[in-house]
Amino acid sequence: MSRPVIELQQVGKQYTKYDDTALVGGRLRVRARSRTSLFDAVRALDLEVEQGASLGVLGRNGAGKSTLLQMLCGVTAPTTGRVAVRGRVAPLISVGVGFHPELTGRENVYVNGTVLGMSRNEIDRRFDAIVDFSEIEAFIDTPVKFYSSGMFVRLGFSVAVAAEPDVLLVDEVLAVGDFAFQMKCFRRMEEIRAQGSTIVVVSHNVTAIRGLCDRGIVLQRGSKVFDGAVNDAVSAYYASVGEPSDDEQADEQRGAALEGFELLGPDGQPTAHLRTGDAAVFRLRVRALREVAEPVVGLSVSSESGSLVYSESNLDAPFRPLAAGESATYELPFTVRLATGGFTATSALHELTGPETVARLTPSNPLSFYVAGRPLVSGTHDLSGSGLREIRP
Amino acid sequence: MLTGPATPVGQLLSELWQRRALLVVLAKKDFYVRYRRTSLGVLWAVGLPVLQAIVLTVVFSHVVRADRLAGHHISYPVFLYAGLVPWTFVASVLPGASTAIVDNLGLVTRVYFPRLLTVLLVVLSGLVPLATGVVILLGLTATLGPGLHLEVLWLVPGTLLVVALVAGFGAALSALHVYSRDVRYVVQAVMTVGFYVTPVIYPLQAAPHGLRTALALVPSAGPVELFRAGTVGADQGWHLAVAASVGWAVAVGAWGLWLQSRRDRVFVDLL
Repeated sequence: MSRPVIELQQVGKQYTKYDDTALVGGRLRVRARSRTSLFDAVRALDLEVEQGASLGVLGRNGAGKSTLLQMLCGVTAPTTGRVAVRGRVAPLISVGVGFHPELTGRENVYVNGTVLGMSRNEIDRRFDAIVDFSEIEAFIDTPVKFYSSGMFVRLGFSVAVAAEPDVLLVDEVLAVGDFAFQMKCFRRMEEIRAQGSTIVVVSHNVTAIRGLCDRGIVLQRGSKVFDGAVNDAVSAYYASVGEPSDDEQADEQRGAALEGFELLGPDGQPTAHLRTGDAAVFRLRVRALREVAEPVVGLSVSSESGSLVYSESNLDAPFRPLAAGESATYELPFTVRLATGGFTATSALHELTGPETVARLTPSNPLSFYVAGRPLVSGTHDLSGSGLREIRP
Repeated sequence: MLTGPATPVGQLLSELWQRRALLVVLAKKDFYVRYRRTSLGVLWAVGLPVLQAIVLTVVFSHVVRADRLAGHHISYPVFLYAGLVPWTFVASVLPGASTAIVDNLGLVTRVYFPRLLTVLLVVLSGLVPLATGVVILLGLTATLGPGLHLEVLWLVPGTLLVVALVAGFGAALSALHVYSRDVRYVVQAVMTVGFYVTPVIYPLQAAPHGLRTALALVPSAGPVELFRAGTVGADQGWHLAVAASVGWAVAVGAWGLWLQSRRDRVFVDLL
């Protein structure tokens, strides 16, 4: 049994927030005396990844994903515990690191390759493969400042995957490039894995993680809250994203308390997982803390990239008035006409204050869910349930 | 394999050695990028020091007669140029070296290599103008100066000393700069003063007696004195200046290396 390629033991990373220290008497003050605060980006993390495994790291912003990645590629050291990574690490976070706009593609391949730890010889040997993969043969001797951003990323990616790393660390980069190139990158990563390399993907892009990884962990405020098969990890991630964050819980001054905002699947049970075509229900439960004359419910759904997918309210016809202390439940039944991807829904109770104006009474409490759609449908919507067909005369 | 927050000095040096190809490639890149869009290209790297030498020679042999300052028997332009070559290296490289880690943010936050490498990168890029300066100095000494003698070998330790000084101070200052961005301005201020307290435009013996020892202890005085010793002849009391500079280089260099080793992998947290 070989030792794991990545081994983390009780790893913690604590950042000190400094108020800028002044240079006093030429001495290096590592800690300014009073005005510092500490926060833990990663706490007591244990992790082992075997050779050839592919691990997805999920978590919302600030959960510690980037810090973990930085520790894995050695850029920063853990405050406590031990990080051990065996072999050559190629961080795909560094696509195009050291690229200079004035240099040609060819020159940048050598600079970037060296930055990633390849010798001149290795780059020479792989040069043709790199150029071939990037599909920019015609522009290889053009300064990269004339490249489109897609070409830039393609070249950077090609160098990174040419390094034949033992551990490939992948950040959000997969969102770039056109669809065909993305597919090619996925295939290349599969190849790298088949050759025995280990892959770690850190992303909000749940689709990418599901496509690339067998195993997933979920980070929440620096701690590992889930470790297991990737599909379960995705569900756990959506469950964790739905949890209100601290500042939202503290809000008591608003006029109504949020008792629950749920997504119910076809079986009537709360879920974070739907399929295109499912019949589902959003359910909002609130309790008025004071009298609410004209209650209005707003509900919206956004895609993973943050753009609005759907929004609805009953501004024109408020619900019946609520007495202080009274609870109410509102529902929106719908058919899932969404394509594969992650979505966020928010809903809140408002009060009509004028002809077109409302005041929000409950905190907004985002709920995330994942839709498994038909293959070969991309975008946010699935407009047709029946698919493409040919009309015969 | 990296484990703790510190990189032990031995490991730091061996990793630097393993990454020497990166150092060379990045230095070449900086060099080419600097001259890429110019029509004269790399000629500028040689052209500017030559121009400086010509202006100095004309001004100080025909416009201002400053011969008395250096002593009647030697050519003031050569005397001055001998001081300017090492001083220019210090003044043009040290400010960049002391901010090197922060300036290379894009590289340093995404890939690991010993952070000291960024300092050496700046020092390395300064070597081309330094070498050009030395060659021009040799030319001036042979034509306007006392001619080339065996003493010219002093330029070798002189060059090594100035490079070691700047690298040592750069190692220490760049580490401090991560913690306090005042360092950038302190260095700029010190450079302004440094030109006058380093015996560049005057010989050590021109200073009042009480000040002479103090001036000899200025870190940048040693290389200047070695450059003089190799060309127009050394100032009085140059041994002290050289010894002091060697002391500075060793002490500050060791401190800088220690700082780099202790903080190598947590600098990033403050960028």
